[in-house]
Amino acid sequence: MDHSKHSRNTSTDKKDSGDTGGSVLNGHFDGMVTRAPGGTGRSSAAPAAEPGSRVAAAGVMESWRDERTRSVEDNEMSLPSLAAAYTTILRGLGEDPQRQGLLKTPWRAATAMQFFTKGYQEKIIDVLNDAIFDEDHDEMVIVKDIDMFSMCEHHLVPIFGRVHIGYLPNKRVLGLSKLARIVEIYSRRLQVQERLTKQIAVAITEALQPTGVGVVIEATHMCMVMRGVQKMNSKTVTSTMLGVFREDPKTRDEFLTLIRS
Amino acid sequence: MNAHCDTVEEFQCNNGFSDLIIDTKKSAVHRKHETSRKEDEDESRLPALEAAYTNILRHLGEDTHREGLLRTPLRAAKAIQFLTKGYHETIEDILNNAIFDEDHDEMVIVKDIDMFSLCEHHLVPFFGKVHIGYIPNKKVVGLSKLVIFFFFFFLVQERLTKQIAVGIHEALQPKGVAVVIEAAHMCMVMRGVQKMNSRTVTSAMLGVYLEDPKTREEFLTLSQRA
Repeated sequence: MDHSKHSRNTSTDKKDSGDTGGSVLNGHFDGMVTRAPGGTGRSSAAPAAEPGSRVAAAGVMESWRDERTRSVEDNEMSLPSLAAAYTTILRGLGEDPQRQGLLKTPWRAATAMQFFTKGYQEKIIDVLNDAIFDEDHDEMVIVKDIDMFSMCEHHLVPIFGRVHIGYLPNKRVLGLSKLARIVEIYSRRLQVQERLTKQIAVAITEALQPTGVGVVIEATHMCMVMRGVQKMNSKTVTSTMLGVFREDPKTRDEFLTLIRS
Repeated sequence: MNAHCDTVEEFQCNNGFSDLIIDTKKSAVHRKHETSRKEDEDESRLPALEAAYTNILRHLGEDTHREGLLRTPLRAAKAIQFLTKGYHETIEDILNNAIFDEDHDEMVIVKDIDMFSLCEHHLVPFFGKVHIGYIPNKKVVGLSKLVIFFFFFFLVQERLTKQIAVGIHEALQPKGVAVVIEAAHMCMVMRGVQKMNSRTVTSAMLGVYLEDPKTREEFLTLSQRA
């Protein structure tokens, strides 16, 4: 395997990673609403306010570190409004919210929805801070079959599937379960599968500056299965290859073979 | 409707059905009449649903003006109307022309009917497979058509199983009906206990399937075989 000797310069691209990463990263932050009261006073990382501009590398690094938009207190305060909204929905569909089975459903549904979007409450930096280690390892590391559950941002219906992550460390390795935690933080949001794949890859790149990262997600979209075209068995596969995984076909092949087996 | 109920009750008493089933039958009948919904009502209720969804998005901390979310309240409202469209259909509409006279009295099994619905406790999907067996008594029915009607409500799996069994029973008066549902509940998988691989299996046996173990065994063997 000669992938480890390959060009280092591509791995140091924190932002672009060899493609039009800038605008996609902005898309990645489009949904982040800065909340003034609980905010950390970060004036530069207000991405929702500058939708079209190319955020500088430093800005992206900061945004990556300070992404939280919701706190536990916010959750508690929003619960009554969420429950009221769900009661309206039940009524609007012709159900009787007073019947026994539905009495506490608005609260349960609201709490469930908050759980499904708890990625907004967590920051990558909190999860990763302690688990980056210096290791002189430059062979591929793969964590595969990570179960993933997300919500489709277009229909508010679940998406579930598996994530496979591979990376080539460059003197720094990450605690293995932290890869799964990165997946959790980004998947527990209102998502688009393409964006989710990219966000995971970019987070790992920014945390470790590895030689390369590959992320493959295979998922079933309930919005396709339960409604619309109603195709039961179809799966959507997306992938993001950064660094040497993108440059070198052999590395990519090795990664793809290993996640198949 | 009342006369129909009496006849069915008689039939049930004479054929070994228990009282429990009669109560469930009544709740199934009750469901048809309670707060039903017409299609044009759907259109008029859409704005209220949309507003509710916009509220939900905001309170989850999202920005409702970003591109991906702009029309989400409308799409989500239509999606959930679709998933609960059973509320504005009646079983008579479904069955009107689909019952046929056939001189067949061997077991009929329709298995691996894919089922998707929303749990009434968390409004989160659960999905799985339904296996149905019945022994006709001179009448057969387009079975999938009948069964699918029951999916589009807010459901509890136990109740769904019973409703399907009783629905078939009411439509056909067969010698027996058996329904088995095996489903995965996203409320258990995606949240709460987060058990990925657990499945909930419920069954309802009526008539000869309840009385005769051999018949029941035949149904279970045939429906489990891959």
